[in-house]
Amino acid sequence: MEFTLGPVLDNLPFLLRGLWMNVVVSVVSIGLSLILGFGVGLGRSFGPRWLAVALAFYVDSMRALPVLVVIVWTFFAFPLLAQTSIRPVPAAITAISLHVAASVAEVVRAGVESVREGQTRAALALGMTRIQVLADVILPQAVVRMLPAFTSLMVITIKDSAVASVIAVPEIIRQSETVAGQTFRPFEVYTFALLAFFAILFPVARLADWLYGRVAHLGRS
Amino acid sequence: MTFDWSIVWASRGALATGAWMTVTLTILTMAIAIPGGILLALMRLSPLGAARGLAIAFVEFFRCTPLILQVYWAFYVLPTQLEVQFSGFATGLMALSMNVSAYNAETFRAGINSIRRGQSEAGLALGMSGAQVYREVVLPQAVKRVLPVLATTWVALFKDTSLVSVIAVGDLAYTAMQIRSRSFRVLEMLTAMAVLYWAMGYPQAKLTDWIHRRLAGRE
Repeated sequence: MEFTLGPVLDNLPFLLRGLWMNVVVSVVSIGLSLILGFGVGLGRSFGPRWLAVALAFYVDSMRALPVLVVIVWTFFAFPLLAQTSIRPVPAAITAISLHVAASVAEVVRAGVESVREGQTRAALALGMTRIQVLADVILPQAVVRMLPAFTSLMVITIKDSAVASVIAVPEIIRQSETVAGQTFRPFEVYTFALLAFFAILFPVARLADWLYGRVAHLGRS
Repeated sequence: MTFDWSIVWASRGALATGAWMTVTLTILTMAIAIPGGILLALMRLSPLGAARGLAIAFVEFFRCTPLILQVYWAFYVLPTQLEVQFSGFATGLMALSMNVSAYNAETFRAGINSIRRGQSEAGLALGMSGAQVYREVVLPQAVKRVLPVLATTWVALFKDTSLVSVIAVGDLAYTAMQIRSRSFRVLEMLTAMAVLYWAMGYPQAKLTDWIHRRLAGRE
């Protein structure tokens, strides 16, 4: 079977708009999940007991659920429960953010707990408040250690954005299906989609590897 | 809005079959991907440049593209290129196995590399044979480091099997979504699906944590 670039080139803007949608969904989701994940992670490490238990339940539940299930439930089931409607893109962003935030929370907790306790005691002995200890002593060291893991989560989030195709978010897989259906050239179209993802994910994955080697040991006390 | 939860109980047989398919896919994939991962890791560590290059290309390709797209590609493109038809199940199993093999390859490579060279050298200096050093010094330590990572991969794989539902493999996700579109009991069926995944995945996640704690920091 021959390989022709025609179907891809003719629909390039359409396919690239799909890819752009993947980028938008991923970037917004990683932003939201960083905010939520920091809240959950710090809540688990420093919050009262009941809060830590509740947040642990949330984190472990998200670890047990496939992202597909969360996306499909948010889009199809949640609106029935809440008597409202939700469009595909916000549904995908909400679901992916909730899912990734659990992983962010685990990274934050591990990072914060990797700072030796003696440092907290020393800072408190110097008369710093709990908030100051967190902001000036623990977080500056912990965040550096979290960076490589956050980059890995970025890779996961970009891959999750592809799953949003199941609720008709016009991202690149959805667009590829349309083009493949019109041109009867699934080979070229889906191969293009694979290469497009690779072009985005490979540099991010290399950045993660580089950070693991370069940054992970920094701030070790 | 009224909800009718009896549909969930009425579909219990189909849901159980779907859940069993999810478990089967997970077990079969891991059974293929452990030898597959070992093979790729050995290729990656081999002195042969071609084998190394092939393994690197395989691993990077599967780790840097979304699994759902690999599944679509295997389903829509492979038959047109090879002019053979695979069942949805075989296609899904193949895509999952290759994907997880790539992850396992990195796990095994890291596990083998993490055992310091001095240990094999010390073993050899004590008069052990190469095979003995490998079997009695390197492997027992490498397995302990690899096991927790494999457990994490297992949970990720269990969840990722849901992605083969897009090519109509009758796993839990596909079955639940099919009943949903036939019965229009959307909230009931999707919630049942989520609860079933949760009920199966939660203990696995907890078990993984236990394995990590149990084997952490041991040499």
